[in-house]
Amino acid sequence: MSTASSGSTEAPAAPGSRPKQQFAMVLDLNKCLGCQCCTVACKTQWTSGPGMDAMWWNIVSTIPGRGTPRDAFELGGGYRNGSPVPGELPSGREWGEAWEFDYEQVFDGEGYGKTFLRPKEHDGAEPGWGPNWDEDQGGGSYPNSYFFYLPLLCMNCSQPACLEACPRDSIYRRDEDGIILIDEERCHGYRFCVEACPYKRIYFNKERSVAQKCISCYPRLEAGVAPACVRQCPGRLHHIGYLDDPDSAVHRLVHTFQVALPLHADFEVMPNVFYVPPLLPDAFDEDGRFDPSRSRMPLEDLERLFGPEVQAALATLQAERERVAAGEPSELMDILIARNWRDLLGPFDVDPARVEPARHR
Amino acid sequence: MSPLAATSKLAIEAGVLDVGSEPFLDPGAPEWETVPGARLALEPTPLDRLPSAYVQAAWANRPRANPREVEVRALMARGTLSLRLCWAAPRPVPALSDLDAFPDACAVLFPADGVSAPLATMGSRRRPVAGWHWQAGPLGPFAVRARGLGTVERAKADPLRAQARHEAGSWSVVLSRPIDPGSPFGAGRNVPVAFAIWCGAARERAGIKSHTPSWQELRLP
Repeated sequence: MSTASSGSTEAPAAPGSRPKQQFAMVLDLNKCLGCQCCTVACKTQWTSGPGMDAMWWNIVSTIPGRGTPRDAFELGGGYRNGSPVPGELPSGREWGEAWEFDYEQVFDGEGYGKTFLRPKEHDGAEPGWGPNWDEDQGGGSYPNSYFFYLPLLCMNCSQPACLEACPRDSIYRRDEDGIILIDEERCHGYRFCVEACPYKRIYFNKERSVAQKCISCYPRLEAGVAPACVRQCPGRLHHIGYLDDPDSAVHRLVHTFQVALPLHADFEVMPNVFYVPPLLPDAFDEDGRFDPSRSRMPLEDLERLFGPEVQAALATLQAERERVAAGEPSELMDILIARNWRDLLGPFDVDPARVEPARHR
Repeated sequence: MSPLAATSKLAIEAGVLDVGSEPFLDPGAPEWETVPGARLALEPTPLDRLPSAYVQAAWANRPRANPREVEVRALMARGTLSLRLCWAAPRPVPALSDLDAFPDACAVLFPADGVSAPLATMGSRRRPVAGWHWQAGPLGPFAVRARGLGTVERAKADPLRAQARHEAGSWSVVLSRPIDPGSPFGAGRNVPVAFAIWCGAARERAGIKSHTPSWQELRLP
């Protein structure tokens, strides 16, 4: 499979140039169940080929948590004051290997009824890390423990550090929608892009010696179909569309209501995936009752991810919720609730079952 | 053992070998001792020549690996040119064993026309360079061609072959290729050549390497 050798017949936009329009996503974290359906949808669609066993182009991390790969947001990359920040290159164990399981021992061998299925790394070692390793551990102490889920995928940045880092121009930004793709024919597997991506959303295929990543399901988009992660999400938390379209939900949420924020804007890569932050849950008091004067989750946890702007976003969300509770209309809440789920899909609402196979690339 | 000259610029005298039709690939073959070796000084690629601001920033304060020299010998055998490169590699990386691993590698470069091309920029649009690239592990070797920094293209199929061994802290790599009619490596010619070594233990790859900073001369019999 060559996932991204030529996504478009049009010439790719020059690095740093502005595409004709920008494909964007808004993920409402208040709806995320942490079920990993998006992860599995992506895995099924794209990463079953040679060397892709341990690839999760889309992954849902628990926050607070260390992420995938381990300490994902602490590994450098991106920019600081406009200058590239050197990044680290995680090992296979830090990413999390595709573990082996000895099914025979459990189901047929002497271990039947006596042991359980133990994952093993490639050399037989017990795993010490993996994708979603610290799921649901979160922070705080009972009864005021807390966590939320953060789906992660390629952010299609407007200032893509991966693209700039590649000395071979193997990474390009499509002129028609701003999607970032890797030309696997050009890629020589140097992995500067992996180092430079501050979200660590680029994987390395060791068998083929090429970098690979989320491609925003561009063949589906070209057929008017939403990406697999979006279609398969039971929580219906993804809004997709063109950020430049003032009538689109993504534009309204990002620019008009300013409740959808970039992740780690301090990385200076200008991502085009945005998140509606989770509302702060009330703390429990000593008697087990809600204490609305305190939150279970420190605001600082959200500020670390979404910057100081998160306070205003949360205030807007809270105010609009109260309007609805008072029986008043709220366009913002209508968009976020999306009673007709196809409204989430913007111009990509074609049913994939109705797409002729020939339309797929 | 033939005497070796320690200098940054030296002619490499290719010997002639009367062997069978098989490519001459064994790095440990005694025939290598019948030709003089040229010991060539290597320098790290200047940072400002790397075509990415990220790479320049990331490597500004990283230690550079330094195999400070490479020993090169050359043999012509029945229309096949074999080059043996030997260099110290006390911490070899013999394969792409992990996602953060970079195998050791070496390459020989020459003007595509066998006459002239800018070495510092890996050729140019009008004067390309060609080369033979080996890296430890199952991938390659690759015949390559470039028309400037960051433009190296690998040939999809090429008769280039390689054999390598690591022994006593050093790599010995033989690169061997039949010489086509009209090739730069015609009989009696003196061809500019350059050499590069990548140290995997220092995560060297792409333009981050040690190389002969100027063309050397390969004298063909």
